[in-house]
Amino acid sequence: MAEFGIAAPSVKVAGSKSATATGKALSVVALRKTYGDVVAVDEASMEIAAGEFVTFLGSSGSGKTTTLMMIAGFCEPDSGTITVGGRDVTRLAPQKRNLGFVFQQYLLFPHMTVAENVAFPLTLRGVGKDEIRRRVGETLEIAGLSRFGGRKPRELSGGQQQRVALCRALVYRPPVILMDEPLGALDKKLRDQLQVEIKTIQQELGLTVIYVTHDQEEALVMSDRIAVMRNGLIEQFDTPRELFERPKTPFVADFLGAANFLPGRIEQHDSEHTLVRLTQSGTLLKARRHELASGTEVKVAVQPGRLRACGADDGFCTGTVENATYVGTLVRAGVRIDGGDGPLLRLEVPAGRGPVAGERVGISADPEDVNLFPTEQAG
Amino acid sequence: MAATLTANAPARPRKLLASRRTRVGILYALPVVVYLLVLFVYPIFSTLLLSLKDADGSFTLHWYADALTGVNLSVLFTTLRISAETAVLSLVFGFVLAQAITRLKPILAGLAMLVVVVPHFVSALVRTYGWIIMLGDKGLVNETLTSMSVPGAPFQLLYNELGVVIGTTSMMLPYTVLLLYGVMRGVDRRLLAAASSMGAGKVTIFRRIYLPLVAPGLASAGLLSFILSLGYYITPALMGGPNQTMIATLINQQVTKENQWNGAAAQGVILLVLTLAGLLLVKVVTSLGASRKKRSA
Repeated sequence: MAEFGIAAPSVKVAGSKSATATGKALSVVALRKTYGDVVAVDEASMEIAAGEFVTFLGSSGSGKTTTLMMIAGFCEPDSGTITVGGRDVTRLAPQKRNLGFVFQQYLLFPHMTVAENVAFPLTLRGVGKDEIRRRVGETLEIAGLSRFGGRKPRELSGGQQQRVALCRALVYRPPVILMDEPLGALDKKLRDQLQVEIKTIQQELGLTVIYVTHDQEEALVMSDRIAVMRNGLIEQFDTPRELFERPKTPFVADFLGAANFLPGRIEQHDSEHTLVRLTQSGTLLKARRHELASGTEVKVAVQPGRLRACGADDGFCTGTVENATYVGTLVRAGVRIDGGDGPLLRLEVPAGRGPVAGERVGISADPEDVNLFPTEQAG
Repeated sequence: MAATLTANAPARPRKLLASRRTRVGILYALPVVVYLLVLFVYPIFSTLLLSLKDADGSFTLHWYADALTGVNLSVLFTTLRISAETAVLSLVFGFVLAQAITRLKPILAGLAMLVVVVPHFVSALVRTYGWIIMLGDKGLVNETLTSMSVPGAPFQLLYNELGVVIGTTSMMLPYTVLLLYGVMRGVDRRLLAAASSMGAGKVTIFRRIYLPLVAPGLASAGLLSFILSLGYYITPALMGGPNQTMIATLINQQVTKENQWNGAAAQGVILLVLTLAGLLLVKVVTSLGASRKKRSA
C-alpha cells in the first residue's frame, strides 16, 4: 500500500533507540491507527529536527489530525512508536509527554486571567513565584500582549486569544509544540498576520513546531518541511520548494501546484532531457530527464505559472485562448489545445503582455518545470 | 415630503401606540395582579401585622423576642443546622450522581435523569412513609445489615437527626442533580484536555479547572436545597424525634395546638426573611455565573 507514500528520511529511523543526536526532536516510526475498517493513519514515519517547523498538510480525513493527536497522546496508536528527544512516549498519558499544544478553539481557561492562563503550566512544574512572573511577562511581551495580562480571555478578540494560547504552550519551553489548525477560526487578514507572527516567534526562540492545516498557502509560508498527507499516507515529506518543483506524486503536484495534467508517452531520452509525445496534439515536449523507460505512458504535469504563451511555432503545442481573466498582476488564461478536447490548459502569465481571448498561441515550458508521472501511478 | 411633517409625524403615532399598548397591557395583567394581591400580598401583610400586634391590638415586638429566645431559638438553630446538613449532603450526593450521569451515553443519561426526577413527582408524604418502612428496626436496611451480621445492627435510623437528614436529602436530590447536571454539561471537556496537554494530572485538573468552572452551580444548588429545607414540614415531623423539631413544625404546633397565631406569625416572618436572604444569595451567585458564561461565549 505504502509503496510511494514514504519520504526518504523516514527509512533511516529503524535504529532510533540510539537517538542520542541532539538535533533530533521527535521521531515517529510506522505509526498506524484504524477506526473499525477505516485506516486513519497508515504506517506514518518521519523524523523532525530540533528547531524545525513541520506542517502536516492534507484535506479532512487525510489523517493529519489523527497523527497529531497520537503524538499529543489524546489518541492511542494501534502500532508504531513515538519518540520525543530520545524518550519513547508512545504509551504515555498526554500530561506526561511534556509537549505544547495549541488548539483551534484556543481553549483558554475562562475563570483565569490571561497571565494566570500563561502561568498555569509553570505552576504545575513547581516554578517559583518570581520566576513565574518574570517568564509570563517575558512571554506576553513576545506576543505583544503585555497590556492584557490582567484581562479575562473573553475580553480579548479571537486573534489575541490565540496569541495567549500560543504563549501558554511555549512558556514552559516544551521540546515540541503541536498546533492543530490554530488559525482556522480567524478571518483571512488576521490569519496572514498571525502566520508571520508565529513563524517569527518560532524562529527567534528556535521552537520545534508541528503544525496541522489544510491550507496550502499557509503551509508554504510557514514550514521548513511539509508532510503532504492523503488517505492516511504521507505522500511526500519535503521542503516547500521540493514539493512545489519536484512533486513525487500527481496528487502532490495537483494539491500544491494545481498542476495541468496532459497524457503522453515517452519517446526517447538524451543525456539531460526526456522527450514526450503528447497524446492530444501529437507534438513533442521536452522535459528534464526522468528515469522512465521509453514507451511508458505518462502524465505530464506543469503548473499554470510555469507555462508561457509564445509564438505559434515556438512551443511544444498550439492552441486557442478561450478565456483570459485579468487578476491584478496576472492574467489567468484557459487554452484549448489543438487536436484534443481534454480540459482547458490553465496558464498564469504576467499581466503586461497577457494573451487575449480568441488569440492563437503556442505553449512552452522550461524542461526543468515539467514533471512526469507513470500513468499507472496516477490513481 | 415637507420637513415639518416628518418632524411631527413619528411622535404622534408612537405616543398613541404606546398608550394603547399600555392599556391593553393593564387589561392582560389585571387578573394576575388581583390574584397576587388577594392570595399573596394580603396574606403576607396580614401575617406581618399579626406578628406585630399584641393581644389588645397595640404594637409590640415581643412575639419576635419570644421567637428568638429559649426553646424557640434552639428550634431555629436546629432548623438551620438540619438545612445546612441537608444542603451539604445533597450537594455531595448530587455532585457524584450528576458527574456519573454526564459520563453516560445520551440514552442512558436520559434514563438516569428519569430515575432521579420521577420520585419528585410522588407525594412527599408517600415517599416519607416509604423511607420509614425502609429504615425502621425491622425495615429493609436493618434486616439486610443484621443478616450480614454487621456489628451494632439494627441501627437507629429513624426519629433522630440521621432519619430527618436522610429524608430531606432524598427530597432535595432531584434539584441538586438537575442543577449540577446542567452546569456540568456546560463545561467544555476540551478545556480539561488542554490542561492535560500542559502537564496537569487528573487531581490538578479537577481542582484547578473543573471545580472552579462548576462552582457557580454548586453554590446555587447548595443554597437552593438549604432554602427548601428551611420550610420543610412533613419529613422532619414524621422522621425526626422531639429534638429535631423544625420551625415549620413549631409553627404548626402553635397554631393547631396552642392557638397562638401571633407567635406563629412572627416565626413565619423569620422563616420568610431567611428564605428571601437565601434566594437573594442564589440570585447574586447565579447572575455572576450567567454573566461569566455569557461573556465567555
